[in-house]
Amino acid sequence: MLQTLTDEAPRFFGYYNLLFLGRAFLYTAALSLVGCGIGFLAGFGLAVLRHPRLTPFAPARWLATLYVEIFRRIPFLVLLMCVFFALQLLVPDISMFTIAAMTVALSAAAYSAENVRAGLEGIHRNQWDAAETMNMGGLKALRLVVLPQAWSIIIPPSMTYSVGLVKSTSIASQIGVVELTYAAKVLNTKGFSAAISFGTILVLYFVLCYGLNTFASYLERRLGRRRPGKPIRSALVPASQTV
Amino acid sequence: MSYTFQFGQVTPYLGTLAAGAWLSLQIAAIAFVAGFVIGLVCASLLQYGGPIVRRVVRAYVVFFLNTPLLVQVFFIYFAMPDFGIVLDSFTAVTIGMALNAGAYLTEIQRAGFASIRRAEVDAAEAMGFSRIQIIRYVVLPHIVRVLYPALSNQYIILTMTTSIAAIFGVEELTGRAYNINAQTFRSLEIFSIVAVYYIVLTIVASAALYALGRYAFRIKGRIA
Repeated sequence: MLQTLTDEAPRFFGYYNLLFLGRAFLYTAALSLVGCGIGFLAGFGLAVLRHPRLTPFAPARWLATLYVEIFRRIPFLVLLMCVFFALQLLVPDISMFTIAAMTVALSAAAYSAENVRAGLEGIHRNQWDAAETMNMGGLKALRLVVLPQAWSIIIPPSMTYSVGLVKSTSIASQIGVVELTYAAKVLNTKGFSAAISFGTILVLYFVLCYGLNTFASYLERRLGRRRPGKPIRSALVPASQTV
Repeated sequence: MSYTFQFGQVTPYLGTLAAGAWLSLQIAAIAFVAGFVIGLVCASLLQYGGPIVRRVVRAYVVFFLNTPLLVQVFFIYFAMPDFGIVLDSFTAVTIGMALNAGAYLTEIQRAGFASIRRAEVDAAEAMGFSRIQIIRYVVLPHIVRVLYPALSNQYIILTMTTSIAAIFGVEELTGRAYNINAQTFRSLEIFSIVAVYYIVLTIVASAALYALGRYAFRIKGRIA
């Protein structure tokens, strides 16, 4: 077996295959970036909607909670299929990348909303009260008083969560987005052994995720000056995981 | 857009889907138990093993945490036959999930090892307990109690993760949805129903684990 691997390695790592894998790598990165970016913004909005200080209108809070509770409980693959069939119906010539990115965003929104909520809850209510006494409105208090303190609680788990999403994007290969996993399937079909095709992308995924994780723990240490008061609840639970 | 939902064509399959959901829960349970054992062994090795063993265990954990489960299973299913190990899809998926869950559960249980009071271990050592006995009688009860919410969450995450077994043709919940979709072409109906199945499944599993935690360990922690 090792003999076959070394035999096909020069051909596998030829110019066009490397180009193909490089493009696929960029697709995985772009898919994660676009999905996480939109998802985080949406999740932030959801967390604001769920916060009693910021959204006095209770039904809006319930809807936001409902969204989070529902989308956190649907596996990525099933969500992808739902979005895939629904969007193809609504917009017939939509690109597969858009569908996959929207799925990532929908899922990321739900998880980010939880991370942001944990951050907002980590701030003592006195801070809100103080801001109110200073005649600040809800959003102004959020922007000037709460968020500057909450970022350090919000960002580390969100980063780790994003790494989880990078891994979930491998499922987008199911609808034919040419990202790393799909590229490996193509190369495997072209006649290269599964060991070298999938082995290579395992390494590529590892480089991407390990790099991001290292950056996340660096950020965590930088931002880690935790404020006194409520300890972070999920200290024992590993960073939110995706499915 | 003129799409008429026809759930009527799909309702005869609700039972089939429920059977698939049961299989999903079983796969998740097998993967969880195997992953728990792997995690316990690895966490013990991280705690008591020598430098080389620790390094190997860390490499395993870091590798599995930083690569997608789907690709890991692809590798096990398609590449292992090259090395002479041929597995059917069910076994390949279960092994992949167990190894993947093992890495996560190692991380969780390492936190459990770290949270044991030094005095408890010292006391056990003074009583002449061996390492294995310490793990069995001191660490394990502590871990199960303290980490119960985290472990429950892990089981629920695993239940959802089983959906990737469909990609390899295992007939669990999503796999059956694929099949029914191929028979009826009512894609949106099928997959929205399956989404509801997963929501109900995880809510029921959370409630059951919460009740068990309350009853068996008097834990009031929230289970997602």
